[in-house]
Amino acid sequence: MAKTITNKNRRLNMRLDWSLLRRMKQVLIGKEADQGLLFKIFIYVILIDVAYIYLNPLIFMVTTMVKDATDLLDPAVIWVPRAIYLGTLQDAWVMLDYMSSFFMSLGLATTIAVCQTVFCAVAGYAFAKLQFPFKKFWMFCLILSFIVPPQLTILPILIAASQLDMINEVYPLVLPAMFGHGLKGALFVIIYRQFFSTQPKELEEAARIDGANAFKVFYRVMLPLARPAIVVVFLFSFVWNWNDFYYPSMFLINVDTVPLSMGISRISAAIRAEEAESGPSIFSEPIKMATSFLIILPPIILYMFTQRWFVEGVERTGLVE
Amino acid sequence: MKRKKLLSANVVRNLEGSVFIAPWIIGFLIFMGAPIAYSLYMSFHQVRILATGIDTNFRGWEYYQFILFENGSVLYNDLIPFLGQTVIMIPVIIIFSLLIAIILNQQFPGRLAFRTIFFLPVIFTTGQVVLEFIAQGEGGLDFLENYNVSTILMSNLPELWANSIVRVMESFILVLWYSGVQILIFLAGRQTISGSVYEAARIDGASPWETFWKITLPGMIPFIFLNIIYTVVDLFTFPTNPIINRVNTSNYGMSSALAWIYFTIILIFLGIILLIFSRATRAYRAAK
Repeated sequence: MAKTITNKNRRLNMRLDWSLLRRMKQVLIGKEADQGLLFKIFIYVILIDVAYIYLNPLIFMVTTMVKDATDLLDPAVIWVPRAIYLGTLQDAWVMLDYMSSFFMSLGLATTIAVCQTVFCAVAGYAFAKLQFPFKKFWMFCLILSFIVPPQLTILPILIAASQLDMINEVYPLVLPAMFGHGLKGALFVIIYRQFFSTQPKELEEAARIDGANAFKVFYRVMLPLARPAIVVVFLFSFVWNWNDFYYPSMFLINVDTVPLSMGISRISAAIRAEEAESGPSIFSEPIKMATSFLIILPPIILYMFTQRWFVEGVERTGLVE
Repeated sequence: MKRKKLLSANVVRNLEGSVFIAPWIIGFLIFMGAPIAYSLYMSFHQVRILATGIDTNFRGWEYYQFILFENGSVLYNDLIPFLGQTVIMIPVIIIFSLLIAIILNQQFPGRLAFRTIFFLPVIFTTGQVVLEFIAQGEGGLDFLENYNVSTILMSNLPELWANSIVRVMESFILVLWYSGVQILIFLAGRQTISGSVYEAARIDGASPWETFWKITLPGMIPFIFLNIIYTVVDLFTFPTNPIINRVNTSNYGMSSALAWIYFTIILIFLGIILLIFSRATRAYRAAK
């Protein structure tokens, strides 16, 4: 008798254990396996790790920049400087000739970005929705211009520019953008093409029946719809052109005001020359970091203002097929 | 009568389309077609820029022969290590960005903040600033140095591969930084798989693990492919790339020949990837 009672008890205990376990399991792993606590923690751990990896160089840049001489020499000071010293930033500002270089960069990047945003949209729309002779062939050319490295075309363009007396002018940089080419132009056309080809055909047909021609359809119907794609292309184009130094360093050889992206290589060269003369200086690293900071600051500010639309835009562009 | 009208409508459509595409085609001919052709022409010639014009002198395959067989330093010393590095970097970038994109696609608080951080590299990784970071040694993994991983690799692998792996590890963080656009593409791609498929799978009792392999991954294959191509093109035209500085104005013919050899290598590289990829997908489909 007693034996059966203990047996029953044990069974009850076991059942209790089981239900407790199950509840724990539900909290930890969740009903749907991707809603449990464990999974959430796992995701956060990975994301925070990677976010740290991503931000690490930026933090390094900012902290190195504001260190003064004693902090730089003190090995105990790694991340947080004892005092904030803005002298390095000021030096970098002067060395970069920041104001005029900034406006040079801004003007150049904005012009190219606007041109690419507009003219790549026109080409992308044609590739997605319109008929024209030899479309397959031109599509092949589009992909070709995507994979051709700039080194292949730079020399002939350079020769042409020098023959036309356009060296040290900004035209060779801006003109390709006005035809929907330029830095990564093919990629932008492809992005637009993907976006426009996801738009329903009925939309266009309705507008056509109402008597709109292709231009009106494009301008009144398609462009307003393409806002997400426009944001993505404009931001990419602006930032990439802002950062690009390959093309400017090819065309702008003897110019007083260079774009900011070229400034850093000039300063590095200057510092190297100085080091060769008077030995390594503790300030060369902070100066470089301050320069980098000044260069990427404007795109970061732009990104902060546009990131909301940008993230949305990326999701809705259907960036790809 | 009717037929004629139909035809003219077709002609009108073609005309409209041509007007839209015309600027791009003109641009292509001026900024792509003509330079490509001229650079091919230059690679067979000795070119001198004179005040009176351009003086060319036919040299045949001389420059190609020189680069490929006579003086290997230009091509092989820089290019081969770079290629090895690229081969290792591509899978790292692809797998990493796929992982991050899938995680970012989950619903959880703070998602927007994380997305903002993860798109940041798109802003930096295109410029000189990255070179500066590489020069500063930012971007290595400290723990690898502590464990002497590089010496172990050096003693156990062929030199070429060990060197490439070590170099990738030295700038591992920057490799992750290159993944900005790739994450974007994967995120956009993940949106194309409809939620109802996942629901159906769940009702049928599939575990998330199975759903990933049977639904997410097959759905992502076109994007993986696209990303591989994008990564290859991006890496090969990146400013840290050693070949880019070799193409300069000191010797037009030689530089053009080098650029063409380089382009051919890119094409072969892409071709191999295409081949492997199509084989792999076919095998995958067959296995399913």
